[in-house]
Amino acid sequence: MSIADSLLVSVLGLFVVFLVLILLSFLIHIQSIILGYITAYQQRNAEASHTIIPVEDQPEEADQGWTAGELKLIGVDEKTAAMIMAIISDETQIPLSELQFKKIKAIDQIN
Amino acid sequence: MSFSFYETMLKIWNTSAFAVMTWQEALMIAVACVLIYLAIVKKYEPLLLLPIAFGVLLANLPLAGLMSPPTENAVGGLLYYLYQGVKLGIYPSLIFLGIGAMTDFGPLIARPSSLFLGAAAQLGIYIAFIVAIALGFAPNEAASIGIIGGADGPTAIFLTSKLAPELLPAIAIAAYSYMALIPLIQPPFMRLLTTKKERETKMEQLREVSKLEKIVFPVIVTVVVCMLLPSVAPLIGMLMLGNLFRESGVVERLNETAQNALINIVTIFLGTTVGATAVADIFLRPETLKIIALGLLAFIFSTIGGLLLGKLMYLVTGGKVNPLIGSAGVSAVPMAARVSQIEGQKANPENFLLMHAMGPNVAGVIGSAVAAGFLLAMFG
Repeated sequence: MSIADSLLVSVLGLFVVFLVLILLSFLIHIQSIILGYITAYQQRNAEASHTIIPVEDQPEEADQGWTAGELKLIGVDEKTAAMIMAIISDETQIPLSELQFKKIKAIDQIN
Repeated sequence: MSFSFYETMLKIWNTSAFAVMTWQEALMIAVACVLIYLAIVKKYEPLLLLPIAFGVLLANLPLAGLMSPPTENAVGGLLYYLYQGVKLGIYPSLIFLGIGAMTDFGPLIARPSSLFLGAAAQLGIYIAFIVAIALGFAPNEAASIGIIGGADGPTAIFLTSKLAPELLPAIAIAAYSYMALIPLIQPPFMRLLTTKKERETKMEQLREVSKLEKIVFPVIVTVVVCMLLPSVAPLIGMLMLGNLFRESGVVERLNETAQNALINIVTIFLGTTVGATAVADIFLRPETLKIIALGLLAFIFSTIGGLLLGKLMYLVTGGKVNPLIGSAGVSAVPMAARVSQIEGQKANPENFLLMHAMGPNVAGVIGSAVAAGFLLAMFG
């Protein structure tokens, strides 16, 4: 093999290495984007599944939570409960003093 | 019956290996002792250099016949049978399985552009190939010599055992010795080719890579690389299988075996039998010195290739990439990445380049396997 031929083989060889690794780089990038979307979609679903369901729609639970006055908290701490009550009051434009909460329960999954 | 002490001693001497030992074999045993010294005292890649060195010693013991092939009347030597694992490309592939199980490709997935640096750091392979051709080596031999620049022992052994098995001992010893010398070989070129300002560059923290991405990655790499270069499927396939063991999280026993017991056992077989190919009449030739010199040239140019692309990325990104991570594109995991970290911290004590350099470092493993696949397709 002549030196000129070896030069040609080398250029071609380096080109192949770059081509394969650039292709891989591109595919990793695409993979990250697609999996990023999937993860975000799953997160959105997970967040949606934590929606509060009106107490009336729920079957009566065994008394496994603790009470704060007449309000039962199941799987929800006091701070979160206060926040939820404040949000509902704000959204419905009903003063907190006129609202009566019986139970606030965290739901993992709707269906 | 008369007893003659002199004649008895003479008989023992004449039937011993000492009587038939050539000066070349004695010299090879001396070389083996030097290698054992380097492995134990200087700690130059001892995990491989020690078995290689002892293999050299065993293969050059006259009459022992450890590497003798079987004949009609006798079975072959122990190392002859163990060597079939090298000859058939089994050991390098199994070593890659273990490497895959030990490697975190997260930094590479977080910054896919690391792959460019892993590609550029294969430059030395082709420079050494051209120079080897100019020195009169046959193309298959030149390709085997060039692969030393990939700084990847199993890949070098895999390719050489298929293209030029007679050069295997010189190439394996050169490859592992230079890998051990990376902390001495790379830094002068890293400082020569970069400015202080470039070396001081602090890089942004890498994003977190999800488990799903890490699981999908080995599947993508296997499909793409093995479809493009089927000849390198044993190496890449095993590398990625090992990595899938690691990332899947469901086969902890297999993962643990691949990265500990299996790789250790195979390393013993691989090192000893590769060393045992270094018999005097093959090893003691001027070509060996040429191979050792060309190996050094390959390492230097691979380092330079990575650094130059690192500098280009520094310019293109407006100073966001530290060019020092380019030299880690030679595979030698994780030694080359550590050198980048050390040099980066010398320039700026607040610099932490290790994780950034691991990306090009593991990309170099894939890059050198791809380069080997190309050379195998050309000259195999």
